[in-house]
Amino acid sequence: MKKILSLPLILFPLVTTAQNRFPKPDFESGYRYPTFTYHVPDETFWTALDIALLVLMMSFVAWAVIKRKKRAPVMWVSVISVAYFGFYRSGCVCSIGAIQNVALALTDTSYAMPLAVLLFFVLPVVFTLMFGRVFCAGVCPLGALQELVNVKNFRLPKPVAAVLGIIPWIYLSFAILCAVTRSSFIICRFDPFIGIFRMGGDLGMIIFGALLLLTAVFTGRPFCRFLCPYGALLSLFSRVSVWKIRITPKCINCDLCHSACPLDAIRPPYENRVKESRVQGVKRILTYLVFLPAMACTGAFVLNLTGDSLSRSHKDMRLYDLVVQNAKEPQNIPPLDVEVFYAQGGTIEKLTARAETVRNEFRTGATVAGGFIGLVVGFTLIGLSLKRTRKTYEIDDAACVNCGRCFGYCPQNRQLKIEN
Amino acid sequence: MEKDRITAKSPVTRKKFLRICGSVIAGTVIALLSGISLKRIRSKESGYFWQIDPSKCTFCGRCETGCVLPVSAVKCVHANRVCGYCDLCGGYYRTNVKDLNTAAENLLCPAGAIRRAYVEDPYFEYTIDESVCNGCGKCAKGCNSFGNGSLYLQVKQELCKNCNECKISQTCPSGAIRRVAYSEAYLLKDA
Repeated sequence: MKKILSLPLILFPLVTTAQNRFPKPDFESGYRYPTFTYHVPDETFWTALDIALLVLMMSFVAWAVIKRKKRAPVMWVSVISVAYFGFYRSGCVCSIGAIQNVALALTDTSYAMPLAVLLFFVLPVVFTLMFGRVFCAGVCPLGALQELVNVKNFRLPKPVAAVLGIIPWIYLSFAILCAVTRSSFIICRFDPFIGIFRMGGDLGMIIFGALLLLTAVFTGRPFCRFLCPYGALLSLFSRVSVWKIRITPKCINCDLCHSACPLDAIRPPYENRVKESRVQGVKRILTYLVFLPAMACTGAFVLNLTGDSLSRSHKDMRLYDLVVQNAKEPQNIPPLDVEVFYAQGGTIEKLTARAETVRNEFRTGATVAGGFIGLVVGFTLIGLSLKRTRKTYEIDDAACVNCGRCFGYCPQNRQLKIEN
Repeated sequence: MEKDRITAKSPVTRKKFLRICGSVIAGTVIALLSGISLKRIRSKESGYFWQIDPSKCTFCGRCETGCVLPVSAVKCVHANRVCGYCDLCGGYYRTNVKDLNTAAENLLCPAGAIRRAYVEDPYFEYTIDESVCNGCGKCAKGCNSFGNGSLYLQVKQELCKNCNECKISQTCPSGAIRRVAYSEAYLLKDA
């Protein structure tokens, strides 16, 4: 799908301003100027195919997991996803990174987001609200890659998993903070598997990706559980999804699904013998109402202090530092950035004003992010302290990625299959 | 049905009610988010490709090392209609070169990507072999310093991965890399 670009008219002024030190030669031998064509890939077909495949694969997984209770289709979708979205399309556009584009588009009117990116962000969310995290199951190439290499499930202790589970939220808030301040797109920069999909790139990230993949062999989906910001976002929606995954209509409490689940998303039965009186319950809720705002305020305060150092990630701030450094030590040779800055007619006053706005943006953003992180930590701690009575094994909808591994292990499910 | 098993006083009903509330809230959030975002989406002509503005480029050489690709997607482009076809080409030869021949020690391009062909006295035609070019911009710097500036750098769109955040644009000292629309995916000098 390549189209030869028509020569742009906009560039005529450039030709006239170019320094013509040497006149145009008059050729006598009948020499003719060679013509070059510059190819611009037309992405319309590919993005349409991407979106179509995305919808098709998510629907297929939803059908297989919710209606048929089968894992094999999920595995096939995983293979296709890794091959197509991962290796062939080199992992871009990805829904995880689309968070940043959407955040930037919502706050910055000058940024124009491609439609495909919005669809990549919204469609999985819509599907999650309907069928749970079917996108995570195998349509996301990053999840699919980890799913395919997973062999054994060493279970992490629950508090450790809960604490590590806060990381995606922190990552999410920082990603949005960096995106809306236009400083950098950290999700794209620190994508651990992109180096593997593209078979090249930053060595550090490839090593990190390989290590993560190695971990994924022994424990289920470390990236999805402890890093992925989009998974964190989807977990909110999967909690309230309309159609939910059910392992079997009649649980016999055999523990097989629990030990098979790679994400530790199945909660075992539990009998809460501690009976709480009404007064105690009210007291508990009041404690939460004090505790949560306190956590949010602490988070906001702590991150507000880091706002200035966070703003260092912005390009203009780096330039500002260089310019100030150069103004202090004019005897040193100025770095290239500073030289270009002055050559383009920049002044320290203007740059200082710009630096101040950037700093303020970061202070506000960091405060909001800190409050949010504080809330998440608070909710996690409350979640750890709560003990609920369960009669049978129950799926934790937020953590479940609909990989369907439990189906094959459930003896009831198997029986059902034989009967049919 | 499940309802028969669950009596009206069972806490599950409350749970279910809360869930439905949650679903409605989540649905509204999605609808709102996508609605606002859809409004913000401009036409297809909105900036999508990364490109170097040749009038801003300073040929600092960061394009060669900044790109995420093993060999940069930035290549040298030659505008023949701007070129002076000089024998002593500032983009082809090193400064203070003694003999104007194609011996490697005389050439500026570290990759040997510039081909030189005799046209007629005293003119020589220069062509870039893009499969070898690494986008270091040494020739472009030479040509702009001593010649007409017909050698300049452009992002080859068929090689560019179109990263969300172009790594070169982060290191570019002059802010020459920006997003451009499909119709101006190349900012050519010899239009």
